[in-house]
Amino acid sequence: MAKLPMKYVEIAAPLSESKEIFDYLQMLSVIELTGTEEVDGLSRLSAGRTPSQFEKYRTAAGDALRILDEYAPEKKGLLAGLAPLPELTFAEYLKKSDEADGLLGVCYDICGAERTITQARAAIARLEAARTGLEPWLGLDVPMKFSGTKQTAAMVGTLPGDYTAQTLTEALLAQTEAAVAVEVVSHGKERSCIFAVCEKAEEEAVFAALRTLGFAFVSDPTKHPPQVRYERYGKEIEQHRQEIGEAKAQIEALADKRRDLEFVYDYFSIRHEKYDALQMISTSGSAVVISGYVAEKRVEKMTEQLESRFTVAVAVSDPPEDADVPVLLENNGFAGAVEGITKMYAMPGKEDVDPNPVMCFFYYIFFGIMLSDAGYGLLMVLGTLFAKLKFKPTGNLKKTVDMYFYCGIATVFWGTLFGSWFGDIIPQVAKQFFDKDVGSLALWFEPVTDPMKLMLFSFLFGIIHLFVGLGVSFYNMWRQGNKVGAICDVIPVYLFVTGLAPLGASIVIDVPPAILSAGKWLLIAGTVLIVLTAGRSSKNIIGKFGLGLYGLYNTASGWLSDILSYSRLLALGLCTGVIASVINTLALIPSSKPVKLALLIPVFIFGHTVNMAINLIGTYVHTNRLQYVEFFSKFYEGGGRSFTPLHTNTKYFNLKED
Amino acid sequence: MQNLGYVFAILGGALAAALAGVGSAIGVGRAGRAAAGVVSEDPSKFGKVLILQILPGTQGLYGFLIAFLLFVQIGVIGGDLQALSTAKGLMYFGACMPMAIGGLVSAIQQGNTAVAGVNVVAKRPEESGKAIIFAAMVETYAVIALLISILAIFSITGLSL
Repeated sequence: MAKLPMKYVEIAAPLSESKEIFDYLQMLSVIELTGTEEVDGLSRLSAGRTPSQFEKYRTAAGDALRILDEYAPEKKGLLAGLAPLPELTFAEYLKKSDEADGLLGVCYDICGAERTITQARAAIARLEAARTGLEPWLGLDVPMKFSGTKQTAAMVGTLPGDYTAQTLTEALLAQTEAAVAVEVVSHGKERSCIFAVCEKAEEEAVFAALRTLGFAFVSDPTKHPPQVRYERYGKEIEQHRQEIGEAKAQIEALADKRRDLEFVYDYFSIRHEKYDALQMISTSGSAVVISGYVAEKRVEKMTEQLESRFTVAVAVSDPPEDADVPVLLENNGFAGAVEGITKMYAMPGKEDVDPNPVMCFFYYIFFGIMLSDAGYGLLMVLGTLFAKLKFKPTGNLKKTVDMYFYCGIATVFWGTLFGSWFGDIIPQVAKQFFDKDVGSLALWFEPVTDPMKLMLFSFLFGIIHLFVGLGVSFYNMWRQGNKVGAICDVIPVYLFVTGLAPLGASIVIDVPPAILSAGKWLLIAGTVLIVLTAGRSSKNIIGKFGLGLYGLYNTASGWLSDILSYSRLLALGLCTGVIASVINTLALIPSSKPVKLALLIPVFIFGHTVNMAINLIGTYVHTNRLQYVEFFSKFYEGGGRSFTPLHTNTKYFNLKED
Repeated sequence: MQNLGYVFAILGGALAAALAGVGSAIGVGRAGRAAAGVVSEDPSKFGKVLILQILPGTQGLYGFLIAFLLFVQIGVIGGDLQALSTAKGLMYFGACMPMAIGGLVSAIQQGNTAVAGVNVVAKRPEESGKAIIFAAMVETYAVIALLISILAIFSITGLSL
């Protein structure tokens, strides 16, 4: 249970069968492709424009699904995301693939309908603006283009400022002596819409007079009285509204095709991935070579499956020494649950062992100490159990749910030891409502009554954690043949820290003198060994001694700060418990029992929800930190590359072998 | 003047709650502004940036915790007031200072780190775990301050002065 050993596999097959083989490999998702080296007679397949074509189709399907979600949303439960995807067998998939191109038409229909809606909406906005512009002119009963009769000249336009027929006539009289009849169609503070008539002979004089007042013709004059255009626009708006309604109905009518569209989306994702990967294949014109990494334990089965179906030759070899081999982890449920935490830091590098089996145990324990409330732990266990039973999650999601399940169990364990069930709600209620003193519920002790004790235990847990980390580093060095390094870098530190621990503890508690003196000798032995061995890389004696002293300083300061860092186990544990008790205290302040009960229920629910949420985040973050900074720094290099097989990267269904 | 002990003790508790709270408010505020920016572009990142926003909020909680613990110890909450000497009151005041000052500064700095983390999430959402760890590093010093304040309050209670 750990890092799976990898094999380098080359599959040779006739070109004619390559497509089926490739489809089959993609469904198995066991091989990570690597491009073969350029050899004479072999050249890379060129996929050309096809991948981008598939990408385009996939986008169309994605758009169509998005539009469906907008106009005909599907009702989904809040936790539906936890459920695994529906399964599709390979045969069903192949059968359905034939429909994909036809279904693409549905996608385009939906996208087209949405485009109609967008365009119609834009047109409505434009028409409505135009109608607003026409509103001041609705009182005009001649076309806005009207320029007069044989004898008269008419001018339709706007003037800045607020005029009535009378004030305008007066203003014009001041400019010209020509006779003008004016009508103000509408007027407002900033602008007046006017209609002026005069004799044709005097047109120029009147126009000049109007111009001095700031007259301007209408920019888009109507051929008919404005009312006509106004109504026409109104009808057009109505038409566009109808179009929108029809397009919406069209989209809604296609809503039952959602499953099909989801298939189309995934289908083109698969095709896209495949054609992208095809470029990794070499061909000689009549045969192809597919090469990549496969986990050793899967090689045999894959070869069998391929050989029973196709004409292939499979060559298996060890990956070259300097190859960049991808890392695939496999653990049992208990250790595998924390794989996500390790991945977030880094995948194990070439020389690393898989840290999850050692880490998981400490991860759950530390999580439990920091959350430290059995009530909260119980909620976690129940919540994760519910999610597991109801939705049966798979893959990484299952691992995450499992992790919180185990963390919840650990939390119940520590909470029971510390006697914290939703803080001190049980003794409080017993005392306040029933006048009974139930005493402490703790099976071990309550941290609040003796924080020093828990702090020492936190350091002890820390030392064990770090020693295990150091042990892994010993194993690593020994395995790689660096036996001197393993002994010189690990044993003295064990002696040093084991010796120092009782001396440190004696500052706060009484340590039996026998242990103290044993510790003293261990410390001296460790110190001497560190000074003697830490500088072994230096060539001269002074350098050795100097580096040795430096190593001693590093060991002492590094281990001191590492161990002290575990005091957060106490701090966060106290934090949860005390705040939980504060919530209970606040809820039980009133003196009358009915009021107390009425206040208790909402304060209890709200307060503990908030406290649990905040402390869950804090606990998660600090548990991670203890693994990443304190534990991993002892042995873990990281820097590995995660195994990414040629697979069906689907969003809506899972492909399954027949 | 015989109540001077209480004055100092309550002043200390109040400062722990207030300064740590101010720090958290600044930190959470900054991170929240950055988070809102990311969510305006991509609402699906809400969950990830929310965690980053909450991180600098714990200091305010720690400050509150110290104040509450202290008030229970000296009987301001729970109503069991006993004589408190000026010396002891001053000691309580001192015990609150790590949380008050450590909380104030670490929350603001954690807020700044969280803002940087929000930027990480904006560009590479898959690396949000690392962004959280960076912000959590700052919190170490708030945890240490909390611890020393708690231990000091408990041990001062045991002194007879």
